Amino acid sequence: MTQLDKPIPPKVTKIRKRLKKILTRNNLKEIDAESVFTGKDFMLKIWRLLISVPLGIAIIDETMSSNTLCNIFYEVGMMHALGKETVVIKTDKAKVPSDFVRTEYINFDSDFEENIKKYFQTTFWELPDYYETIADQLDRNPLLAIDYLRRTYLITGNDKLKKKANRLLKEAAVEGRAKNSVEQLLVAF
Amino acid sequence: MAKKRDVVQVKNPKSGHYVKIDRSAGKIVSHKKSRGPYKNVPVARKKTK
Repeated sequence: MTQLDKPIPPKVTKIRKRLKKILTRNNLKEIDAESVFTGKDFMLKIWRLLISVPLGIAIIDETMSSNTLCNIFYEVGMMHALGKETVVIKTDKAKVPSDFVRTEYINFDSDFEENIKKYFQTTFWELPDYYETIADQLDRNPLLAIDYLRRTYLITGNDKLKKKANRLLKEAAVEGRAKNSVEQLLVAF
Repeated sequence: MAKKRDVVQVKNPKSGHYVKIDRSAGKIVSHKKSRGPYKNVPVARKKTK
């Protein structure tokens, strides 16, 4: 989540280049709004992309216009509402909105790579186990449990989680519900 | 006699704090404000199957 319209701030290009290397090392693929062309509604595309990813990385620079920052933080907010992971990377002089002052961010400085590495090691790769444990404990609440399994699946891509979610749905005895019911939509990950 | 609740706890790697889960209600009931686990509440592990 960053500025895609030209001219792109040089520091943003630099950050993305270094970030891409780190993501590749973590077996993760970088996507942005330009990775997909639907020929349809742009906002719908953004929402779909936000839903389909396990992690949203916002990159902000002090030279960005307020319009650009509004778009970026709208997307960060949406990801929070969806229970997704987010990381804010900022250049030294970039200011974060007051709603985000409590949020830990990563500065683009000499410790950048080390801090990103730490994030992946100590938080991101710990999440699948945590989410799956929560899902296992919430089997009396199948919708919430399936949501946690979906989050785990987005990070690990482990197909066993799909089977586990389907088993939960079966046990919840709601299989006869319409195909567009919340339960059926949720389990179709 | 009050019904015994089936409560466990799990450590959230993001916050570093433990969350308490009421298994019988299927709800996350609270987050520990301070470090360390809740007393007398078993720590849940991932099921292997």
